[in-house]
Parts: sequence; structure tokens; C-alpha cells
Amino acid sequence: MRKLIDSITRNLLVFLMGMLVIVVVWQVFSRYILNAPSTFTDELARFLLIWVSLLGAAFYSGKNLHIAINVLPSRLSPPNRKKLNILIHLIVISFVLFVFVIGGGMLVYYTYTYLQLTPTLQIPMAFIYAIGPISGLLIIFYKIADIADLLRTDPEQVDGDNQFEQENFTGSI
Amino acid sequence: MGLTEILVLVLSFLILLAIGVPVAWTLGIASLLTILFSLESMTAFMTMAQQVMTSLDSFTLLAIPFFILAGQLMNKGGIATRLIDFAKNLVGSLPGGLAHINVVAAMLFGAIAGSSVAAASAIGSILGPRMEKEGYTKEFGAAINISSSTMGLIIPPSNILIVYSLASGGTSIAALFIAGYIPGILTGLILMGVAAVWAIRKDFPVGERTALKPLIKSFLKALPSLLLLVIVIGGIVIGIFTATEAAAIAVVYTLGLAFFYKEIRFKDLPKVMMGSVQTTSIVMILIATSISMSWVMSFGHLPQYISETLLALSDNKIVILLIINLILLFVGMFMDITPAVLIFTPIFLPVVVELGIDPVHFGIIMIMNLCIGICTPPVGTLLFVGVSVAGTTIEKVIKPLLPLFIAMLLTLILVTFWEDLSLALPRLFDLM
Repeated sequence: MRKLIDSITRNLLVFLMGMLVIVVVWQVFSRYILNAPSTFTDELARFLLIWVSLLGAAFYSGKNLHIAINVLPSRLSPPNRKKLNILIHLIVISFVLFVFVIGGGMLVYYTYTYLQLTPTLQIPMAFIYAIGPISGLLIIFYKIADIADLLRTDPEQVDGDNQFEQENFTGSI
Repeated sequence: MGLTEILVLVLSFLILLAIGVPVAWTLGIASLLTILFSLESMTAFMTMAQQVMTSLDSFTLLAIPFFILAGQLMNKGGIATRLIDFAKNLVGSLPGGLAHINVVAAMLFGAIAGSSVAAASAIGSILGPRMEKEGYTKEFGAAINISSSTMGLIIPPSNILIVYSLASGGTSIAALFIAGYIPGILTGLILMGVAAVWAIRKDFPVGERTALKPLIKSFLKALPSLLLLVIVIGGIVIGIFTATEAAAIAVVYTLGLAFFYKEIRFKDLPKVMMGSVQTTSIVMILIATSISMSWVMSFGHLPQYISETLLALSDNKIVILLIINLILLFVGMFMDITPAVLIFTPIFLPVVVELGIDPVHFGIIMIMNLCIGICTPPVGTLLFVGVSVAGTTIEKVIKPLLPLFIAMLLTLILVTFWEDLSLALPRLFDLM
């Protein structure tokens, strides 16, 4: 299940990122070479960025790659570290549930019922905001799976001393 | 904003951060808890969701994924090694040759990728083993790599200057970019100076003097990569294209170069794309929740309150800049550079503008200051990456880092109080 969702999300992300590059390159090309600036690329690119960012944030939440400070977890005994990790996942789940799923869901609902359209493309704003609840549900799915994994594993096996893993900081500029 | 709300904001932020909740969510949760004091809960959830999404709705921010993608392509496409070769021929014969190569390579690579962490891992992984082989200690190598990688954020194009432009309400990116040159190169020269003194005292090996021919040869090999900088920065400064368009051009250019060098094949592209999605999305969600926190603070009039307090303390430019620098140094110890810029720019900028300090100058001060913060424990992303690439520990790397910190601090003081260092070039090009 997790693998399937992972692979669908990954392919979608590569597609969206590719689109983003093509759209902005087209904007530059149309403005400087064709001398006929395209009207839709600016807006489309901005919306694609929102989608890539939120969907990507959900995907890498599943990989536990968001920057966090692991000083405390790495100093705890394995059973306590396990409990703390579960608590952290629960905190993330509740924030995402309230803001991304419920708040984002209401946003989609209201902009859809009032038929708010985007200025140039004239598509419903609700389509753009829809990535909020989508990525929210994805994060909740990953975090519940993480908690289930944690509950299944022996506390001694819970790895927590990953403070210096270079991978953990790829999200920093 | 009452005292209770400020306490909730600060305490929830610190506690969540300390127990290991990812920084992006920490910022979001602290903002949500604070805004719940003023808004009815359903409205608060919806407003936060809207804040998170609309703060990413910016054409300027789009430059960041493209510069990141260009950096990825450079790394995979053999451009990094060509830049290092050129740096080797240029400064390899100075005392402590490899240290200087590291500084110059970080300057060139970090400049093009616009990111310090990318520079530290790319250059550290190539030069680190070589340094060890030639008798440098691992710790010294790591310290040089960490401190010199900060230049990627000061010398343009720089992703963090784009973030500052956004946080400061649209300060000209062209002016910020060109203002970064002198302070950035100055930092590099001072770091090289420290490395040279160190190398002479510890008797580190001196590289062979390079003849003119290999120097020219390596320059020609690096030329296409260097030309990219001319196109990108030149185009932005002259005003031919925006930073985002320049970044898109950089992607096409590095992609072409990587194909030309035959270092990348078509089937490698999804992987490269995904690498850029990773950094982009993690940074963007951090940007989104940081902007939400900044919005919650201004919703409660916190910036005005801090501004009044600071100005009541003193209306002397030098004193205020000193206080702000001290606060930022402290903040930088605990906070990564991106949220720090987004949260503290709206707080401090009105104060310094009131005292007649130019936003461009303040941006350079702020970035240079927070660059020290990302190299210092307990929380320093660049420190962590540099230590991890070199395979050493923070405790061991602190001693060789100390003189470099002092050098960076002195440069910061110099840039803070001598505004021409940052403002001369933008004025020369008539950008302000």
C-alpha cells in the first residue's frame, strides 16, 4: 500500500516539476524570442509551485526528511525515544488534520460554492486549494503507518541517532 | 497581542522544537495556537490553510526551485569538478593550497547553485578525502569547508537573498544580488588569510606552482560554467530578465552543458528532478509556515511593539545595529536561516529604515549574520552537513572553527558599519 502510494506520488511530482520547468522556459522563450509574451504561464507556474511544494512536503514527511532538531530524541533511552517519536507523529497528525484537511477542505468547499475563478486561466480556485486536503490526508496516512511500524518494532531497534545524517538537511538552503 | 499570546507563541515554539517536531510544523502549530486567541476555531483553521497556500503563490519564489535544479545538474553534470580544477590551478600553490582551493571552489559553486548546503556537500565530498591524503586533519578540512560554504548565500545568485527580498516587501533582487559581491569576496579573502596563517604555523603542504598553460586550460574548461554566472547576473542586473527567468535559463544552460559533457543521460532526468523536488518542497513548506508565523505576529501588532521598544532604548544607528546583530547571532544559534529571515525581517526592517539604513544594506548584514548562525551549534544546518560529509564530530570541529568564526564576525562588523561595502556596487549600476 505504502509502496503504491509512494510511486504514484513520486511520478506525479516528477511530472509537476517537469511541467513547471517547461512552463517557465516557455514564458522566457515566448517573451524574448517570439516577442509575444504568453499570458497564462505566470499564473500556471505559481499554481504548479503550490502543488509541487505541498505534495512534495507530504511525500518527504513520509520519508521523515523534514528538518528537525534531534538533540533530545537522540539522548533518550530506546523505549522513551519510541514513545517520544509516537508523540511527535501524533502532534503532526493533529496539526495537519485541523489546518490542511479541515481548514483546507472548508476553503475548497467555499471557493467552489462561490465559484471563485482564477484571474487569467479562469479555472476554479478550489482546484488549486484542493492540494491542501490531498497532501494533508497523505501526511496523515504516512504518519499513521509510521506509528504502526513503531508499535510493531522492538524499542531497541528504533533508530533515533540520526542527527548528523547529511540527508536530513537536504531541505536547507 | 497580549502577554499571554506572546508567551504561548514563544513557549510552544521552543518546546515543540526541543522535543524534535520538524521545524516547519513547529512554526505552523505555534502560529495556530496563537491565532486561536483571536479567531473562532473554524475560521482560524481556514485562515491558516489559506495563509500556507497563498504565501507560496509568488513568481519570485519560483526562482528557488530552478536555482536548486541548476545546482543539481551542475553537481551531476561534471561542472563541480571542472570548477574545482580551475580553483586548484588558480590558488593551489598558496600555503595551505587545498584550503584555498576549497574557499575559491565554494565561491564559484555556491555562487551558481545559490545554496550553502549544496556547496558544502558537493565540494566537501570531493576535496575532503584529498585533504586528508595530503596530511590535513579531517577537522581542519571540515571547518574550512563549513565556513567557506556560507559564501554561496552571500555571492549572487543566492536563494536566501530572494527570500529576503520577499520578506522585506520587494527589495530589488538585482540590487541585493550585486550588493553581495564585495562582502562575499571579502569573506572569502579573510577566510583564505586565516587558512594561510594556520597552514604556515602547522606546516601544511604547499601545492606545486602551476604553469600558465594548465591554468589557461583549466580556465577554458571552466569557462562555460563561469559564463553562466555572467548571463544570469548580467541579465538580472541590466534588467533584461527577472530572477525567476534567469533561474530558468540557468536550468536550460546547465542541462545543455551536462548533455554536452555526456555526464547525464535522458533517463537520469527523473532522478535529478526528484532531487530538486526534495529540497524545494521541504524549503517551501518551511517558507509557508514561517510566513504564517510572521503574519500572526503582525496580526497582533508585535513588530510595532518591538520597534517602539528598540527605538526607546536608543536612536543611535550604531547602537541599534549592534543590538540587532546580537539578537540575530543568538537567533541564528537556534534557528535555520530561512525561517529566521522570514520572521525577523518584518520585525527589524521598520526600525532600521526609520534610522535611515537602506533595506539592501540591512539585507546583506542580516544574511552575513545568520550565515554565522548556520555554522554554530547547537543548531547549525551547515555545520551538521559539513561534519557529516567529513565524517567527524561537532565537538572536534569546533576548535578549528573558532578562528574562522572570529574572522567571520570581524567581516560582519566591517560590513555593518561601512555601508559602502554593500551599497557601492548597486549605486554604481544605478539600482537604487
